[in-house]
Amino acid sequence: MPARRPDEEPDFENALSFPVEGLADLQEYDAPAEVDAAFVTQRRIAVGYCLVFLLVTFAIPVLTVSSAWWIDSRVVGGMSPSFLMAAVVLYAFFVGLGVAAATLADGSEDRMLGRAGGDEREDGA
Amino acid sequence: MSAQTFALLLVLGAIGTLISVTARARGRATTLDFYLAGRRVGTFTNACAICGDYFSAASFLGVAAAVYASGLDGVWYAAGFAAGFVPVLLFVAAPLRRFGRISLPDFLGERFASEQVRVVAVVVVQLVVLAYLVPQAVGSGITWELLVGRGFGGLSAYATGVVVSASLIAALVVIGGMRGTTWNQALQFVLLLIVLVWLATLVFSTGFSYPSAVEEASSTPLLVPAPDDISLTTVPDRLQPDREAIFGTPGARYGGLGQFALLATLVLGTAGLPHIMNRYFTSPTGRSTRFTTVWVLVLAGAFYALAVLLGTAARVTIAEHAASTPWLEALTIDGVLRVPEHALLALGRIHAGVPGLGLVATAAFAAMISTIGGLLLAAAASWGHDVYERYLNPKATQQQAIRAGQLAVGVASALAAVIALSLEPARLSSNFPSVVALLVTWAFALAGSALTPVLLLSIWWRGISAKGAIAGMSVGTVTVLAALAIGLSRGGDTDDLGSLLLAPTLLAAPLATLTTVLVSRIDDPPAGLTGVWLRMHGTAADRQVERFARLAARQGRGR
Repeated sequence: MPARRPDEEPDFENALSFPVEGLADLQEYDAPAEVDAAFVTQRRIAVGYCLVFLLVTFAIPVLTVSSAWWIDSRVVGGMSPSFLMAAVVLYAFFVGLGVAAATLADGSEDRMLGRAGGDEREDGA
Repeated sequence: MSAQTFALLLVLGAIGTLISVTARARGRATTLDFYLAGRRVGTFTNACAICGDYFSAASFLGVAAAVYASGLDGVWYAAGFAAGFVPVLLFVAAPLRRFGRISLPDFLGERFASEQVRVVAVVVVQLVVLAYLVPQAVGSGITWELLVGRGFGGLSAYATGVVVSASLIAALVVIGGMRGTTWNQALQFVLLLIVLVWLATLVFSTGFSYPSAVEEASSTPLLVPAPDDISLTTVPDRLQPDREAIFGTPGARYGGLGQFALLATLVLGTAGLPHIMNRYFTSPTGRSTRFTTVWVLVLAGAFYALAVLLGTAARVTIAEHAASTPWLEALTIDGVLRVPEHALLALGRIHAGVPGLGLVATAAFAAMISTIGGLLLAAAASWGHDVYERYLNPKATQQQAIRAGQLAVGVASALAAVIALSLEPARLSSNFPSVVALLVTWAFALAGSALTPVLLLSIWWRGISAKGAIAGMSVGTVTVLAALAIGLSRGGDTDDLGSLLLAPTLLAAPLATLTTVLVSRIDDPPAGLTGVWLRMHGTAADRQVERFARLAARQGRGR
């Protein structure tokens, strides 16, 4: 395993005003092969969600220049589908996409890295 | 300026000073404390601080102004500003934090083990910071002009606003460092959101209907002040040249290519903004940065949806009140504001009198203060840490390094103020719908073209080399500066090509990416990539911090 540089160490000493016992048991490591596999999975997740993001976001200007219905019809009051999408709906889409991507990325890292982690050691199991 | 307004500004200044003084690192501060608040900023607090950092004068005054002046085409600013955090979440946040440096140049220099990369990145970061600082200073001047209406010490009202905000914020950052700035930014964002919600509540309490307002604003052609500044003129529809532009349909500002150019500039720019990316280094773990960004998306969605709504409300309400309201008549031509950035301020005064104007202006100052604070810290980190500690005084003590960062804060602040003083917003307003939003777009173009492509490739492509990164940053920077110069010399964004040249990311980012890849192909990637990949894409450090937090909490409870 590559040694950690001193400036990468978490700032444990200054984190709390009281001494914490058991710091020596906290060392965690990742195997390069596991990180490579996790990297490929993370890249697949990021690229997949990015494609969905680009498709929806850039569909708005695409429809704007290609569809009269998109800008001339009215959905609510004076709001066209284009106005409604850009002024309201798009933000909800970003949040939904963000929650789904973050949850999936976290979950896949949990499954692929640190499986022999120290919770058992820490809990004294 | 009324007594209430003066009191509000004093309270804001006092709160900022108090936070900076009480939140500064205790005892002898380290550079980690000054630049990164000890890397212990919580998920939601950091999300609020990022929002405070990000929602600048361009967001608070500029988005509503752009919607007011250009209708649906102005809404692209809101959509693009919010969309920018999706690529950050997907590609940048967690690996950047896990690599664990102090600034973007520090990250790039360490990633490539190259001092040349670090130096080029410092230059690009300083350009982005300056490009972003200037519109904030311009926004301060515009707000002061309307709020106070007069200058002090022989300066004009605009110049006084610029000088007062630049000096005050530099002082707060020097006193509080990142810890004080974090709390200032978080609380100032909360103030911004509260003011927007309050204003929206007031607007709705008068029977305002959003869909009906869009319908009413779209019932006649969109009118803007003519260059003579005494009459109004219609705007040709750039998508359908045979008709005049209207509020609720696109075409008032951008043609087909212009729509894509602006959106691409804003979407790609966020990931390259140094003051925003630096905030990610303050999180305790890579994992926490993901949900910090999700919170940012939630808060940004609420903020921009409200800004668009209020820009629409201003279009209708100001036209209704202009003829019967003397103070508003002075700001308008036949019911249309001369300076669109006055939209929210005027709306506040219409609905809640002078105290309402004071509250909105205070929020506008808060938006500028929090963003300028973040930008000054980014400038300080790259000068203080990446230049002073590395080259000018490698044996510097922590105190000397911090003093160098504090000096950089003062210099960057003064430079931005001088440039802002040389601009004349009223003259620029006749050519561009929102000067503040336009200037910020240029900063986004620079960040999205010079930094984002190299940053993304550094995180996700093993094959990138130091020479490739330097070439990519250089080509991105030069292309943007050249495009802006050519665009301005052609007379602005009067056609599709003009729009592309004034929001040139669509042109410059692919060129920078291609250059990076081609140069990297004929060069060797740096050694030690396995270690770099373990740091960026492994979770060992995250798990260690999380276990430490659990262990400390358990022992803390037992004490």
